[in-house]
Amino acid sequence: MENLSWLFWGYAAGWLLIFGYLFWISAKERTLRKKFSELQEAMEERWKQKKA
Amino acid sequence: MDGMLSEFDDKPAVPPWLIAAAALAMMVHLYLIFVWVPTEATMGIVQRLFYFHVPAAVVQFTACFVGGIAAILYLVKRDNRYDDLSLAANETVVVFGLVNIGMGMLWAKPIWGIWWTWDARLTSSFLLLFLYGAYLVIRPAAPVEHRGMVCAVVCILGMADVPLVYLSNRLFRTQHPSPVLGGGKDSGLAPEMLTTLFFGMFTMMLLWWCVVSVRRRVARLERASADLTRRAHELDDLRRY
Repeated sequence: MENLSWLFWGYAAGWLLIFGYLFWISAKERTLRKKFSELQEAMEERWKQKKA
Repeated sequence: MDGMLSEFDDKPAVPPWLIAAAALAMMVHLYLIFVWVPTEATMGIVQRLFYFHVPAAVVQFTACFVGGIAAILYLVKRDNRYDDLSLAANETVVVFGLVNIGMGMLWAKPIWGIWWTWDARLTSSFLLLFLYGAYLVIRPAAPVEHRGMVCAVVCILGMADVPLVYLSNRLFRTQHPSPVLGGGKDSGLAPEMLTTLFFGMFTMMLLWWCVVSVRRRVARLERASADLTRRAHELDDLRRY
């Protein structure tokens, strides 16, 4: 079982990078969706004001 | 404007069956690596990093080609969907490139006694990663109207670098191990090792496609959000005059 720690850290680093990236893009999607909804609401409000 | 966001809600970015298949394949792959495959005689247990390191490199190269071909299609058709696919693929080139190089370094330290050496394979891999890192830096800095075109040119250059990385340990004497597949009469792997390696490539490819699909949708959302922001500013300008 020599070098077991290298094996552990290798796989830990590999999975952390991949799942860390997935977590980052998921967080980015949530932020964008929130921003998108807020923008849509603001635009609708402005259209209503313009029509009035 | 009603339902503009709903175009992103219609269906999940990745079909549930694909997520389930990728998760199952990952578990089987881990079983193959840590339980089923025999330990390599010379290097010992640390050689098992190979079953993740090589599939990560294969996925990285595939991502370079997918990103490059999508960039060419974008230049020909000027369809933003290709630019989104190219961005998604190119970002994964960096992620899987870091996995590939990182795991290689963690293998090199106990086997070679050093973390890194500037041989042809390692240097060309580093340059490839550097090129795609530059792509990610250039992209937000480029003017919006030329962004797709500038980025397409950079990633086509990156794609052209892939054969050099692949051939580097065939054309030059390197400290990096010689190819185990198609490397001549002294190359080859035991059948169990070969099965684990190919299954690892399949698993990594499934995982990669899930990641690219999610990133593609985020890219579409970014584009739609930027478009809506621009329209909001235009509306403000109209109100002002």
